[in-house]
Amino acid sequence: MDLRAPLQLQAMIKSMTDVVLPALDPANQMAQEQAQLILGMMHLMAVRLPMEYHYDIDQLKRYLALAGELQETVTGGPLTNAALETLVQSSLSGTDCLTRPQVSPGDLEAAVLDLRTQISGLVEALWQDGEADCRAVAGKAVLAAAKEQILRERAWFVPQGWDADTSAIPAIETLIDFPTPPGQTGA
Amino acid sequence: MFDKDRPSDAWLSSLRDRFPCEPEVDRFLSSKLERRAGPGYAPVSLATLCAGVEALLRPNLDSHFELSNARWLTGGASKLQMAFDLTWRPNAEAEQTTPMVLRMQPAESIVETSRLREFQLINACADVVPVPPAYWVDADGEYLPYPGLVYGLAAGATKPSSGVGGEVSGMGTDYGPRLRELLAPQFVHILARIHTHDWQGVELSAFEIPGPGTVTAERQLNWWSRVAEEDGLADIPLLTLAAQWLRANLPSLDRVSILHGDYRCGNFLFDEASGKITAWLDWELGHLGDRHEDLAWVTTRTWGHPDPDTGVDLVCGMMPKPEFLAAYEQASSLAVNLETLRYYQVLNTWKTAIMSHHTSYRAAHGGKTHQDVLVAWCIGVSSKFTEQLNEVLEEVM
Repeated sequence: MDLRAPLQLQAMIKSMTDVVLPALDPANQMAQEQAQLILGMMHLMAVRLPMEYHYDIDQLKRYLALAGELQETVTGGPLTNAALETLVQSSLSGTDCLTRPQVSPGDLEAAVLDLRTQISGLVEALWQDGEADCRAVAGKAVLAAAKEQILRERAWFVPQGWDADTSAIPAIETLIDFPTPPGQTGA
Repeated sequence: MFDKDRPSDAWLSSLRDRFPCEPEVDRFLSSKLERRAGPGYAPVSLATLCAGVEALLRPNLDSHFELSNARWLTGGASKLQMAFDLTWRPNAEAEQTTPMVLRMQPAESIVETSRLREFQLINACADVVPVPPAYWVDADGEYLPYPGLVYGLAAGATKPSSGVGGEVSGMGTDYGPRLRELLAPQFVHILARIHTHDWQGVELSAFEIPGPGTVTAERQLNWWSRVAEEDGLADIPLLTLAAQWLRANLPSLDRVSILHGDYRCGNFLFDEASGKITAWLDWELGHLGDRHEDLAWVTTRTWGHPDPDTGVDLVCGMMPKPEFLAAYEQASSLAVNLETLRYYQVLNTWKTAIMSHHTSYRAAHGGKTHQDVLVAWCIGVSSKFTEQLNEVLEEVM
């Protein structure tokens, strides 16, 4: 099967650029704007699609690390304990995902979303009946983990052009251990 | 995982119980959920919109009128806008042709708001600050495919013709030294006039008048907590943490003000030659509340940019933050409480992250807007807001 996403995207970008965009009515502002965005979205897909699997593996590893840190440090009342138990189950499922051979991209994404939800649930419970000291520790752990996640998101969306100066944002490949072919740098 | 694309009545009821909001906010959020399982946004032709506007105007105008030159407008990430010319006899005067805009919401959008509130707020401030005249509102979509309002097309530009930045919703607009000097004092004084405007006796029935204490902050917190629940694909620990901090640190209100809700570069028009601000737009997030909410919004770093000469961050491309706050205090004779300002910095960045991350996802996922590709594109900017949220939470926690 040789018709894969990279070729499809390349062909669509060329068609949009060479044929569709020049043919649009310049007075139709909405069509002009959306055509440009479609082109931008296809460029983003072209550079990021090959990395999505690596991105999710990296993301899952970091959410598992945060979940582990919280499980070790958090104590509290019935709500906190119930949230902890649920998080333990999600962590086991997430770890299984990482170690299972040939895990599907869909399973990886589902594990990430589940951990996001259960960690959030623990934070919410902690603020209801958790130990006050634990809140501070958990808060710092969540902020530190968020910082890493945000850095990756900033790097991921660099091609969208939200930042005038991207010199302080590392290439996404270096953050998610994506193998870069020799002589190439990340977008 | 719970299917938010097919919300049940029981879930809606539980959200209303958990997050009490202003009645009109509750109404439009509930209406959004009631529509969610229904169809996505179906393209509407200019002819259909013109017919809807004519139906809206007919009961309101005694004499003959005619719509012409209908065309699409762009520039916003949330509402559908059509410009047109209306030939009519306002107040039995001589016939004239007035450029108008129809602003209509799609099935869902990046931010769910009320056209009635927007209409009332523009009219409430019409004698105080430059706004486009708001003529008619179809609050429930009785005449138009969805709720909408008709206002006069104001003249002016949102950014300089030779400027830098501002490509996306006005963010980072660099007005340059000449315009900056002309615009900055007006920018401060108009905000001060909005906040000090005596709103008592003005028609603002779509708004709840905040009581004393922490109610106004709590209403905002509930509003956006509910939106996060309704729209998010999955909770995000940072946003949940921010919500806990916000609930534990609600500030008291010292004075009720009209708030614009989205006061920043990109949301006002100006005459490039004279540097005069001609109209303030986009009042959809406005409400009665704490002036610090607007002040924190204005000073959000994402809207501004560093001064090219000094490297100092300029609030909305106007002036450094300390100068802005001092000028505001002088213009309004109202004090700025830095602790309250910090609270609303957390609330605003959290709220913006919810819109750009959760609501953008849900609206585009459901095919609910006239510009899903733009709405989906906006998810990419959410990390700029979560980065700021993370920074400010590190300072306060």
